[in-house]
Amino acid sequence: MLKVLDFFNYARSKSPWIVHFCSGCCSLEMLAAMGPRYDWERYGYIMTPTPRQADIIFITGLVSKKILPALLRTYEQMPEPRYVVAIGACAYDGGPYNDSPSVIKNMTEILPADVFVAGCPPKPEAIVAGLEELKEKIKRGEPSASSQGGLWKQMKF
Amino acid sequence: MEKIKEILNKFEMEYVEDYKPTWVKAKLKNKEDLLEVVKALKEAGIASCSTVSPTDYPEEDRMEINYFLEDIINKKNVWLKVDIERALDKCEIDSITPELPSADYHELESYSTFGVKFKGHPNLRYFLISADYYGKFPFRKDFDWEEHEKQLIENVNAISEEFFEEYEENEETMGHEGSRTVLHWGPTHPASGPIRLKVYVNGENIEKVEPDIGYVWRALEKLAERKDFIGTIVAVERICFMDNTNPMICYAQAVEEIAGKEITPFAKYMRVILGELGRTVSHLISLGGFFGTMGLQTFLMWCLDVREYFLDVLEDYSGARIATACIEPGGVRYPLNDYKAWFGELNKAIEKWESVKSDIEDIFLKNPLMTVRAKETGIFNEEDVIENYLAGPIARASNVKVDVRKDEPYAAYGELEMDYVTCDSGDTRDRLYIIYKEINQSIDLIQQAMKKIEEGIEAGEMDPKKDHMIKMPRRMPEGEAVSRVEWARGEMLMHLVTMPKSTNPYRLKLKAPSVNHTRMLEKLLPNHTLSDIPLLYGSMHICQGDLDR
Repeated sequence: MLKVLDFFNYARSKSPWIVHFCSGCCSLEMLAAMGPRYDWERYGYIMTPTPRQADIIFITGLVSKKILPALLRTYEQMPEPRYVVAIGACAYDGGPYNDSPSVIKNMTEILPADVFVAGCPPKPEAIVAGLEELKEKIKRGEPSASSQGGLWKQMKF
Repeated sequence: MEKIKEILNKFEMEYVEDYKPTWVKAKLKNKEDLLEVVKALKEAGIASCSTVSPTDYPEEDRMEINYFLEDIINKKNVWLKVDIERALDKCEIDSITPELPSADYHELESYSTFGVKFKGHPNLRYFLISADYYGKFPFRKDFDWEEHEKQLIENVNAISEEFFEEYEENEETMGHEGSRTVLHWGPTHPASGPIRLKVYVNGENIEKVEPDIGYVWRALEKLAERKDFIGTIVAVERICFMDNTNPMICYAQAVEEIAGKEITPFAKYMRVILGELGRTVSHLISLGGFFGTMGLQTFLMWCLDVREYFLDVLEDYSGARIATACIEPGGVRYPLNDYKAWFGELNKAIEKWESVKSDIEDIFLKNPLMTVRAKETGIFNEEDVIENYLAGPIARASNVKVDVRKDEPYAAYGELEMDYVTCDSGDTRDRLYIIYKEINQSIDLIQQAMKKIEEGIEAGEMDPKKDHMIKMPRRMPEGEAVSRVEWARGEMLMHLVTMPKSTNPYRLKLKAPSVNHTRMLEKLLPNHTLSDIPLLYGSMHICQGDLDR
């Protein structure tokens, strides 16, 4: 039985689907990673417009207070196991908008991420490298960080 | 210009003076006269409002409102100021929206952020700011947002509550009978980006559209006040990453004007090259993204491929692909130590574009999908453009000759050969076709500027290793400046206010064109079907980054 589950994890790690959700400027570099030069489909990643079929959600850079409920709602609609990838300095501590009154500064406390890709914005190579790291985690069958806790459970959305 | 001054002098003014060749600056004594002045100016042809920008002076107990009114055909502009009282219950002024509809969203924004009540506005409501800021007016100088930030979870819940209430209200008013309902297009729609359009539909026919914005509101105008003059670049360049260089040019010009400095010719030509690179990169995403949503994924990939070559040039110069921060007050940030190598990189990108150009043009002229779906839908005529102040490519697609690069030449545009690029019909296809034409124009401008720099270096007039910057004072004198550039999506205007010996901006108003273009959706989308939304929305080249700021 254990072997079968391992196989599921292995299969899952080979083609993670990513929900199409853009909340900040880093999504431009995601677009570039999708494009012909970096082409993340080589590694099996593909964007899907619906959260119902997705394995991964991106926190693309800044999250303003207004889009947070939409982000959490999208996250909640994804089937388990679901993973979170945070890209860009804003997703960690607000980055360049750290002084701004309307940007969430502790995004990874609200929705803990499995992988954080640094940069403002991170290069497409870095995004692909971060996703490769996540693949290993999926393969090992580790539970995702956001399922372990986070402030998102206290919020209405 | 004399005629405008005459009109203004009929009213009680504190001063009326010339400001730049195309602007008249005036200050009104009584706020009661405002509507009359605007009416008189409208008759004289000044029929577009660029933006409304309040400046808060708590020590003097006044709020100064700046109106930037433009005649986009004859290139005559008026900068009108008027003082009102600051106390919240008395902070009100007549709305100019009934006269100049293009002021609509700008007045809503001023109301939401500064609490200026506009009497007679057709639908005064909170706009842009999120629900937790309702009634708190966060851009006022005395607003303590650090205190506000402490209740994060409550604030987020307040935002959700607002949505639930709205949802329930829709359920009640619409009912479950019949085919009328409200659909939310965005913020998770792949074509939308972070914006929500409330679409009132009957079956699949659209009856009414209400844009709900503010999903990427970063309060950049407030953020700029907390940074120094160099640090503000970080805020300014993040208006929108698609075209990252032009906003920095706009900001740098405003600071240079206040400091009274003139940059070197080399820096001016470099600004042209960098600005046009930014425009090309942005246009390639606009083109590709549009076709991506229409179903032509291959075309999106072509555009992204070409874009990478232009990003290489930017990366070569500044070290960053899209967050370049390469232009600052005083010139451009980096010297060109090996200008030939960089020009070689540039030529490589241009060659790449030339090699795919004909394929891209064929799409516009021959592709059946394009012809059937985009031709003769969503037409704007000249009146629409003036009344709603549509800017940049969208105005030029309707054969209106506006281009800040030509109307009010900045950087080195005055010394280069260029003409207005226009299309005739103003339909959806032309709003895309014009973008293709503009990329060609940008490439031409880049080549001209490269030639001028090469000539300058050979003649010994320019030194690419030293001429890139002039020394700027660390502290700025008191002053006020308005600066405009032609951004990828239209006119960008910045209004910078500084205090004596200051190290940071006192107020920086950013005006970007997407606000008016989003407002135009209210008129554009009704009477179309749901499947047309991505198409028409894509043709407006809206970027949420500059819509919300």
